[in-house]
Amino acid sequence: MSHASRGPEGPPRRGAGDGLPASVGWVVAAYAALGRFLPGDFRSRFLDDAVRDLRDTLRAGHARRGWPGVVTAGTAALADMMRRIPVEWWKALRGTGENRGRSGHPGTGEWMMTLWNDLRIAARALARRPAYAMAALVTLALGIGATVAIFTVVNDVVIRSLPYPDADRVVVIEHHAPGLSLPNLENSAGTLNLYWKRADFLQSLAAYDQQQRNLLGGPHPDRVEVVAVTPQLFQVLGAHPSVGRAFTADDAAQGAAPVGILTHAAWVTRFGADPGVVGRTVQVDDATTEIVGVMPEGFAFPDPDAALLTPLYVDPNGTFGTFGTAAVARLAPGVTLEQAQARIQQLQSGISEMFPDITPDFLKQAGWGATVERLQDKVVGAKIASALWIVLATVGFVLLIACANVANLFLVRAESRQKELALRAAMGAGRGHIASGFLGEALLLGGVGGALGLLLAWGGIHLLVSNGPAALPRLHEISVDGTSLLFAGLVSLVSSLALGAIPLVRYSGVRLASILRDGGRASTDGRERHRTRSVLVTAQLALALVLLVGSGLMLRSFDRLRSVDPGFDPHDVLTVGMSLGDGVENTEAAAFYQRVADEVAALPGVQKVGLSSAIPVGGGNHNGGSFYIDDKPRDESQLPPVAMYKAVGADYLAALRLPLLEGRDLTRTDWNGGEPVALVNKAFEDQFLDGKAVGRGVRWDTAGAFARVVGVVGNVREQGLQEDVRPWAYLPMVEAGWAYPHLSRMYLFIRSDPGTAPPVTAIRDIVGRLNASVPLTTVRTMDQVMARSMAETSFTMVLLAIATGVALFLGAVGLFGVISYVVSQRTREIGVRAALGARREDIRRMVFRESAGVAVAGVALGLVAAYGLTRLMGAVLFDVSATDPVSFVAAPVLLVAVTVTATWLPARRASRVDPMEALRAE
Amino acid sequence: MTSRTPAPASFIPLKPARFHILLALADGARHGFSIREVVEARTEGAVKLWPATLYGAVRDMSDEGLVEALEGEEDPDDDQRRRYYRLTSLGREVLRAEADRLQSLVDAARGSAALGRT
Repeated sequence: MSHASRGPEGPPRRGAGDGLPASVGWVVAAYAALGRFLPGDFRSRFLDDAVRDLRDTLRAGHARRGWPGVVTAGTAALADMMRRIPVEWWKALRGTGENRGRSGHPGTGEWMMTLWNDLRIAARALARRPAYAMAALVTLALGIGATVAIFTVVNDVVIRSLPYPDADRVVVIEHHAPGLSLPNLENSAGTLNLYWKRADFLQSLAAYDQQQRNLLGGPHPDRVEVVAVTPQLFQVLGAHPSVGRAFTADDAAQGAAPVGILTHAAWVTRFGADPGVVGRTVQVDDATTEIVGVMPEGFAFPDPDAALLTPLYVDPNGTFGTFGTAAVARLAPGVTLEQAQARIQQLQSGISEMFPDITPDFLKQAGWGATVERLQDKVVGAKIASALWIVLATVGFVLLIACANVANLFLVRAESRQKELALRAAMGAGRGHIASGFLGEALLLGGVGGALGLLLAWGGIHLLVSNGPAALPRLHEISVDGTSLLFAGLVSLVSSLALGAIPLVRYSGVRLASILRDGGRASTDGRERHRTRSVLVTAQLALALVLLVGSGLMLRSFDRLRSVDPGFDPHDVLTVGMSLGDGVENTEAAAFYQRVADEVAALPGVQKVGLSSAIPVGGGNHNGGSFYIDDKPRDESQLPPVAMYKAVGADYLAALRLPLLEGRDLTRTDWNGGEPVALVNKAFEDQFLDGKAVGRGVRWDTAGAFARVVGVVGNVREQGLQEDVRPWAYLPMVEAGWAYPHLSRMYLFIRSDPGTAPPVTAIRDIVGRLNASVPLTTVRTMDQVMARSMAETSFTMVLLAIATGVALFLGAVGLFGVISYVVSQRTREIGVRAALGARREDIRRMVFRESAGVAVAGVALGLVAAYGLTRLMGAVLFDVSATDPVSFVAAPVLLVAVTVTATWLPARRASRVDPMEALRAE
Repeated sequence: MTSRTPAPASFIPLKPARFHILLALADGARHGFSIREVVEARTEGAVKLWPATLYGAVRDMSDEGLVEALEGEEDPDDDQRRRYYRLTSLGREVLRAEADRLQSLVDAARGSAALGRT
């Protein structure tokens, strides 16, 4: 739902500067780049104005007709510019009159004219061989397009700094306590106060807390992301409101009047970008909140979904214990990340000084530590970064294969021209002259192929962004921009130069006499050139094999991931989030949610409806902590047991088909005045209760009654399919009042007859009838939740598979081309053989032998390379070794199958050679 | 005084793009984008002057002394610092001469029996 707004018609994304729609930004960037080719004088006088005019025109076109308007106008303007460039050069070179000495630089001009001539000649030559030109262009466009597209993603997601000044000095501070099985803790009031007092290596430090809140006032109540921040945030990020003011220390004091700062997106969508919004109020849950400012466009902290910033109060006397607040900081000038890491580790000893009950011993046992990490690394994540680099390397391979293919075509063409070239050389044409001919052709192919590739990349990026893969962070920042353009230009140029250089190298030692003498028939030279081509094809096949093995590994990972048992049956279950907000007391909230569940259960086709405070496999933050067991007193010298818990309603197990292993399910009588009860999973029972859970008492709060364990359920991978099974407890939502003082949000799990999920409108009606101010939040099938949990792996897999498909196709085309060519060159020889009595099978076998040699060499080389390279994929694989035998066997088999297919046609043609025809042709 | 200025007649007939640009500047100085908009509006979208063509023509006409850039004068409300152009007196005369030529053509057409307007 939220992704729909990211289509091409959505809110403006980063363009070439001041908040343009991406399509406009792209066209303007292309126009400006093209304008660089104008003569210097004209360029410096008018290009800026022309670019600005175009931007305004396109913006108007976008406002009227959306991106089709931009494309129409942009194409016309680009065509106009392309027509104008030669005209301006012509004028600049010949001078527009005797008294106008301002024009151009003759040096550049002459060079341009020579190049222009070469290109024109090349264009004519290519136009005479359209099939060859098309094959070369399509191949180059595929290679360059894929590389540019993935480079753009890598550049915008991994390389480019976050949009804050000196963004690589902005860091995230986190804690970890492996001894407590708490790998990732954020900050507590205690650690924040410690750092505010003592961390002189930080220029400023801010805390923030992301929450979902109900925003009232619109046609529907809305659940929006609200970020509570301490006032330092604006200094830390170097971002300040574009309208109104930032928060002051007074705003963040306890009991201060509620104020808020809108993000740009919320300002535009909710307030129509009203500049007078400061001073107006919105209703956030129960608090009437005054708007004091608006953040500038492009501010997307901590993510683009944020709608409102509110001040965060941090208790200056707060305890050490509750970790749930995130912290960002800006390093002090001159402090490196490594120094900051060392200093914060030293500071941890301050914890025991500030909080005497946290002993150094306890910290030591817990394995307590703090980490400082660049915000960007945290946002992107190491795993997705390595996946993207792998994909970039992959498409780099594809580009190499594409270049090898075109180089092969080039060689074939050069060969067919060898007599002409030898003649020209004999008549005194310098090597430079011949070189510039080849170069002209290579540049033209590279340039046009690059332009087509850029279009492909642009389309691909649009497709990617509008599909919004869940795995990709910073998605809203991805667009084809000047850097992509530059990269595309560079890749095209390098490919062109490489292509142009190959025939030159081949012809550096051309033995003119021999070519002229034997008319270019099979000769030593011919065989050598044939070898060059075979080497190129071998390299292509080897590269393709590496990619095949790589995508095989991803496919196997995905398969393993898919066969992970989540612990419940996710099919035919719809989950819908609903949120009462923070104002409602627990018993009342529980009654409301249960009533909704019961009414939804009465809808046609619905079998069971469960309730829970978190979605299984959904990831995200979960509640948990150390707990007490009634018959097992804590040994204070040992670390306490730690487990996660969530609140559930009636029928939770039935709705998710979560198996009950021992004891009984929760019943409604459990929360009508009986003894408190709980369910635990098998991991919990095994780890903490010595395999005998039913009847034992557990409690998480320090006081209060123990909850009696009445049943043991199967393990569920609550935190995601790739995460280990952890000990979990399921507590009836009414009783979990100490943990959930306000059941601000619960999820319905609606199991229905296959194919008959109830319409969301029916659920909305039920919720609306019971309480009109409650918004629905997440609406997803559990199958979608599962898919999301696999998103990173499937994303990498799909990209690799596409790249591999292209690589395999290009490799097959290359092999086909070479074998066909060999057959055509050897027609006479084949004819002689046939005349001497060779059977069709013999000839066919001879051709296959030719391709088998290449294939075997390619497979051998490829296997060695794959063995070396796939171990770099370790981070993105799941439950599959980087040297997985299945992938290493299946990939060569597939490759050989493809080479056989590619050889089939030429072999058939060879076997049908008519000896008379072949001999007569000579 | 006019001895060094080329005769307006030597510019006639004007290319359509040039005529439209001069006409757009007849009622005061404009920047490039505004010229484009005025021309597009006047011709109801039939004539679109894309930037490269527009500035090419402006450069030619400024070299020939038909229009001139207003250096240093900016619209105080326009923070984008666009350059403004206006007609020179020669440009105005050329525009008038071209308009007269077109007028006489139109008159001739109207008077022609072929159009049935006698």
